[in-house]
Amino acid sequence: MTRQEIEREIKNIFQREFEVENPEMDVDLREAYAFDSIDAIELLLEIEKFLGSELTREEKKQAMDIRTINQICDYVEKLAETRKVAPVKK
Amino acid sequence: MSSKKIFQNVSAFFITLFIWAYFLFGSTVIFLFGHIPAYLFSENSARAFQNLNHINMKNFFALTRFLIPGAKFKIQKEVRQIQSSVVVCNHLSYLDPILLTSIFKRQCTIVKSTFFQVPFFSWLLKNSCYMPSESSELMGQAMVENLENIKEHLAAGGNFFVFPEGTRSRDGKLAPFNKGVFSIARYCNAPLKLVYIKDTDKLFKPGTFLFNTRDNIEIEVELIGTLTPEYRSDNFSLSAVADEARNIFEQRIARN
Repeated sequence: MTRQEIEREIKNIFQREFEVENPEMDVDLREAYAFDSIDAIELLLEIEKFLGSELTREEKKQAMDIRTINQICDYVEKLAETRKVAPVKK
Repeated sequence: MSSKKIFQNVSAFFITLFIWAYFLFGSTVIFLFGHIPAYLFSENSARAFQNLNHINMKNFFALTRFLIPGAKFKIQKEVRQIQSSVVVCNHLSYLDPILLTSIFKRQCTIVKSTFFQVPFFSWLLKNSCYMPSESSELMGQAMVENLENIKEHLAAGGNFFVFPEGTRSRDGKLAPFNKGVFSIARYCNAPLKLVYIKDTDKLFKPGTFLFNTRDNIEIEVELIGTLTPEYRSDNFSLSAVADEARNIFEQRIARN
């Protein structure tokens, strides 16, 4: 899985689930899009779907400190690396 | 004002005072002789706290029924049998969460964030595994911790009851649903039980201090639907689930 694929999927999730089109990569999601913790939980569930595997409690906790799209992509990249699995095709 | 009316108002005042005095002092006694020992000695203090809250609220309603004979409670058997579910309810009165706590032995819920700032009460809520309502209170890792606790609670047979309207209805109509409660159900992969509460607002009307001790009131708690969404499906839509739940409530309200 390439970084580009991850970015594309994260942007798709933002468009589909949160109605945010082309989010900026480095803005604070809370400030720019009023992204709250419930949205963060939804995002985690979508990431699980994308990776095709459940996240551990510790992995989920790490996600709660994320603020930007770039950080989300870093996070997903790291998870995919750990799992060494291809993401679920959409 | 007729003397009959004056007598009714005075009587309502003292009954209300007595009921809330029990609420305060009964809770204090249960706290001293129940919650504190449970906190110190119980292996599963959250479970013990929830059970104590259940007993306390059962006593509260037994006293209410005794002091207000005109108030009848019709709780459907199917509601009492609910387990391991997110229980979605309409919200009419402050009595609703108390009533649901009296029905479910193992229960947790979302509580107004302001209560989490009250010393003692906050300790009780946290140890009962209840969640604060404001998302600002839930930011960060505590959110995941809370949700994982609820997931375990549901897996162990407990219920998580929620009021997606967020606040009490003043006119019997449904307020917009907050989708957050459905996100929590999705996170926990739990079924949704839709429970309709009727006429608690007639017994204790929003915006008033006094219980209605005059009229005959039949409070009903009824299971009106069960949803088991396929949360992991590609076609899953949170909005569709929230809309379906809302439609079922609207249909039930239309039958009144």
